[in-house]
Amino acid sequence: MTLQLSVRSIVKRYGGVVALRDGNLDIQSGEVVSLIGANGSGKSTLSKIITGVVAPNGGQLLLNGHPVHFSNPQAARGRGITAVYQELSLVPDMTVAENIWLAHEPLRLNFRVNRKAMRKNTEDLIALFDGTISERLQPDTLVTVLPPDERQIVEILKALSIDPQLLILDEATASLDSSQVNRLFSLVKQWQAAGKAIIFITHRMDEIFRIADKATVLRNGQSVGTVDIASTSEREIVNMMIESAATPDDIKIPVVSEDAPVRLDVQNLGGGRVEDVSFTLRDGELLGLGGLHGQGQEDLLLALFGAIPYTGRVKVSGKEVHYRHPRDAMKYDIAFVPGDRGREGLLLVRSIIENFQLPSWNKYGMLHNQDAAQRDAHAMADDLQLVYAGMQTPVNSLSGGNAQKVVLGKWLLRHPKLLLLDDPTKGVDVGTKGEFYALLKRLTEAGTAILFYSSDDDELLGLCNRVLVLQDGRVRDTLTGERLTHSELVAASMGATNNHEVA
Amino acid sequence: MKSLNLQRVFARNTYLISFILLVIVLGINYIVQNNVFELRVLNNNLRTLVPLMLLAVGQSIVVIGGGLDLSVGTLVSMLSALLITWVTPDSTPDQILLAVVLVCAAGMLAGLVNGLVVAYLRLQPMITTYATSFIFSGIALLLLPRPGGSIPRDLSTFYRSPLLDIPLAFYAIALLLLFWSVLRTTRYAQYLYATGSSGAAAYATGVPVRVVRVTTYVWSGLFAALASLTLMLSTGGASQANIGDDMTLDSIVAVVLGGTRLSGGQGGIAGAIIGVMILRVIRNVIFFAAVPTWSQTLVNALIIIAALAGPGLIRLIRRSIGR
Amino acid sequence: MNAQTLRRYLTPPLIALLLAIALFFAGGFINPDFINVTQAINIVRLAAFLGIIAAGQTLVIVSGGEGIDLSVGAVVTLAAILTFRITGGDNNLVGVGLLASLSAGFIVGLLNGIGIALLRIPPLVMTLGMTGVVSGTILVVTQGEMLGATPALMSTYIARPLIFGIPGVIIIWVALGVVMWLLMERTTYGKHLFAIGVNRTAARLSGVRVERVVIITYTLAGLLAALGGFMLLGFAQTVLLNLGDPYRFPSIAAVVVGGTMLTGGKGSYWGTMSGALVLTLIDSLLRAMGLAEAYQLIVFGGLLVLLIAVYGRELNLRQ
Repeated sequence: MTLQLSVRSIVKRYGGVVALRDGNLDIQSGEVVSLIGANGSGKSTLSKIITGVVAPNGGQLLLNGHPVHFSNPQAARGRGITAVYQELSLVPDMTVAENIWLAHEPLRLNFRVNRKAMRKNTEDLIALFDGTISERLQPDTLVTVLPPDERQIVEILKALSIDPQLLILDEATASLDSSQVNRLFSLVKQWQAAGKAIIFITHRMDEIFRIADKATVLRNGQSVGTVDIASTSEREIVNMMIESAATPDDIKIPVVSEDAPVRLDVQNLGGGRVEDVSFTLRDGELLGLGGLHGQGQEDLLLALFGAIPYTGRVKVSGKEVHYRHPRDAMKYDIAFVPGDRGREGLLLVRSIIENFQLPSWNKYGMLHNQDAAQRDAHAMADDLQLVYAGMQTPVNSLSGGNAQKVVLGKWLLRHPKLLLLDDPTKGVDVGTKGEFYALLKRLTEAGTAILFYSSDDDELLGLCNRVLVLQDGRVRDTLTGERLTHSELVAASMGATNNHEVA
Repeated sequence: MKSLNLQRVFARNTYLISFILLVIVLGINYIVQNNVFELRVLNNNLRTLVPLMLLAVGQSIVVIGGGLDLSVGTLVSMLSALLITWVTPDSTPDQILLAVVLVCAAGMLAGLVNGLVVAYLRLQPMITTYATSFIFSGIALLLLPRPGGSIPRDLSTFYRSPLLDIPLAFYAIALLLLFWSVLRTTRYAQYLYATGSSGAAAYATGVPVRVVRVTTYVWSGLFAALASLTLMLSTGGASQANIGDDMTLDSIVAVVLGGTRLSGGQGGIAGAIIGVMILRVIRNVIFFAAVPTWSQTLVNALIIIAALAGPGLIRLIRRSIGR
Repeated sequence: MNAQTLRRYLTPPLIALLLAIALFFAGGFINPDFINVTQAINIVRLAAFLGIIAAGQTLVIVSGGEGIDLSVGAVVTLAAILTFRITGGDNNLVGVGLLASLSAGFIVGLLNGIGIALLRIPPLVMTLGMTGVVSGTILVVTQGEMLGATPALMSTYIARPLIFGIPGVIIIWVALGVVMWLLMERTTYGKHLFAIGVNRTAARLSGVRVERVVIITYTLAGLLAALGGFMLLGFAQTVLLNLGDPYRFPSIAAVVVGGTMLTGGKGSYWGTMSGALVLTLIDSLLRAMGLAEAYQLIVFGGLLVLLIAVYGRELNLRQ
């Protein structure tokens, strides 16, 4: 069975905001089409319309030449169309198997769920990712105990379980590590050969060139063109997406001098997934944290921010500290930008100013000096080139990149001396990324010490002069100077003990 | 690894802690009231709690599905009034059967109204069912302005006597557990838990979330009907317009004592049944331990709070030692 | 004015207030005697008691985490009984009575907060359990006998017209409204309260001590309920074992009718004030119509469903 889907002039408005003004896309069986665009350009909206999660305000979907209208996700699924979403659609209190087969459970006698078959089928699906996942990922594991990358894999398996004709991967690689991404790509190639159509949404340029046949570019809710990957370049695509762009290579943060004061001195730190980690960080240094996903990078940052209990000795500016709560860490001018901005960083329904000032209200007096708070927030918004309608608008009306600016801004308002960053450019568009890199440079020049975890290897190698590579919660290697290369980073991530490259 | 397994056991069988709690309070009960396990005493004790048990079962289903039903108690009042206006001591079996069917249908209809308002008008369950509880109260008062009513004596005698030397309540519990064990294996149960745990995720996966939400209230209405039937059996048909009103909050406490999380997506009806028993046994203990009348309410409340605080207290202590 | 701007200005609290005014004049159709200054003041006075009792409920509901305080009714009763007993009708002891009431409310609220924040007991059952504890304590202390009296001073300053024919309780209510607005919108506590109502993880990672804010919130709720009980005594003049029970759920309804989200993180006290007015008006209207109690209940329930249907709706799953 072959499939041919055409999306014609789709329009979608949320309240007064136009998310999509003219969305177009063509795909057929055996094709991998990449859908790309800056944050807020309408990619996710378009994919949700194709899968029936969101109802369009105008335009048309043509399936094999006939207009179709999906009134809900089941309708689209009935036609073999499904998606792996960016915001996970898993039910936390159910097991992996129950999640994967939810709403199409194998049945006995037409009403009883056949658990045995469900388990078996789940095992077969999990086997697709064998070798790239931990022992934890079993059919009977509750989804709530899984780390983000393995949840993402469950999400992928769930989409696969209906044997789709058209599969949309919406930022499906964002929380996967490189071995998992490699596996996914080899699977995509297989599916493509088997005649499936795949729409692939990502922010990582290299992935588009590795996997896609065509790329359809969206800008401000409008399709601006489709190019053949074989006959295009990164530059061309970036130019289609935005007017100007910066890559990390344009900005190199200078090596910090040996006599800069030590801001952070960590000895034998343990806690969460972290074990026996020691390092120092000087004022004005941008220290990278690398490695595969979930190797303790996030827990290390959380521990240093007092958000999880830890053991070992931590000195800030030479003074030993004992945190029990993030507020304790904040007293030492430490700030933390969490990895999951929707869940950990923002009060989505509250206003921009309330998000900006949340850590800082104390300084505006018993009864807040509202004018001063407004003034500071406006200054920060201008400084970060925030695009917003007004200080009182809720933060969930902002695009991803702008929302991340609010998370960053709320800490910059406190003028931190030590900044802990957990993958701050994840899901952020290319233009905003460039602004972030410039900001990091400005901050280090002003003497801020920054501990920077990124899942994007290019970013780490491009920006940092020293990278700690974590594996299983331990520092596997420290890369500096000549050794700051892709192959060294990958080797250390995979736990290779010598300096030879791994194939 | 071993502790992990233990944790898993507790996570999957949420009523285990409640069961342990029940065993403890039963032990204390035995100390203060030696004959508690005698057939006659057991029968009397269990019989009076069947209505609340049924109500708590309905409440559990709503809670698992992510809702809350504050109208169940007034619904029992309304349905009891309805039953009593239809059944007299001289009713024929046919008439009684018709009344029973009518009461069940009325209960499900009331639940349907609750469910439609919550799921389709998208109103908050707690405040919606609080509002509808006024309507049910009003109807109860219309049907039964003055306390009264009675049913054929044979019926109440049958309900009072053990069957084959086993208290009738045991059959009720067995039937409930059987009902649940069948329901639990259906696709509907998957939908129920998915809806309660994460409505948005369930919806995106193709679960008919709104329909499932409506059905939970229909279940609750049906169980309220069954509760009012058994309540009338145990009172011999004597009713009043607010006879069930106080059962609402008890049903919620029982659900929580049974280890079901109020935010939904987890738990089961076995927990609710255990929760009702715990509530009852605590009252028994207070009575037989000769606690002065004026102090009984206080002691009862303190014990319930202690029971609720147990898991949290253990967690706090473990955290402060574990560091 | 287009629908967009209309929607922006027509916030739930304003709708509730407009509705209250409309209801008042609707009362005139049913019974022309309904519309007069005395009646208006009387209704606002009744609403004031509910409004004061619902103040703490507003904070608790905004704090999120399924926040709810079912113990307000019992605390109201406790405060009234304490004042009744301690003063024994002596005007000089009114201050002592107030202090004792507030202390009792403080303790009950603090225990609620500790149970909820530290022992992780769901608010609904914790405050329900505390209701039992408070009622039980009342029984133990009073042994069912209501000894004491209400000081004349209290009825003078609370229930009777004080300035320009306006009873003290209304003036106190308005003052409380200002204090509550400042507390919620202009203090760090208020900002932290909304923050934990929206997202506790994000709040904690922004340096908010979530447990502390929760405990403070329930403690304030206890205090405010006790204040409400004290005031209510000045009006009721006498105490009953279930004096406060009729306020338990209406205090929640007033908050919701005022547009505060039951899920937390969004809301206002002036919404609750409007909500209290609306509920009191509906109640008075139904009484003025001379309906039988059964019909009053049915109409009240139906109207409540309609009211929350106007704007109390949850997000649609499909956008």
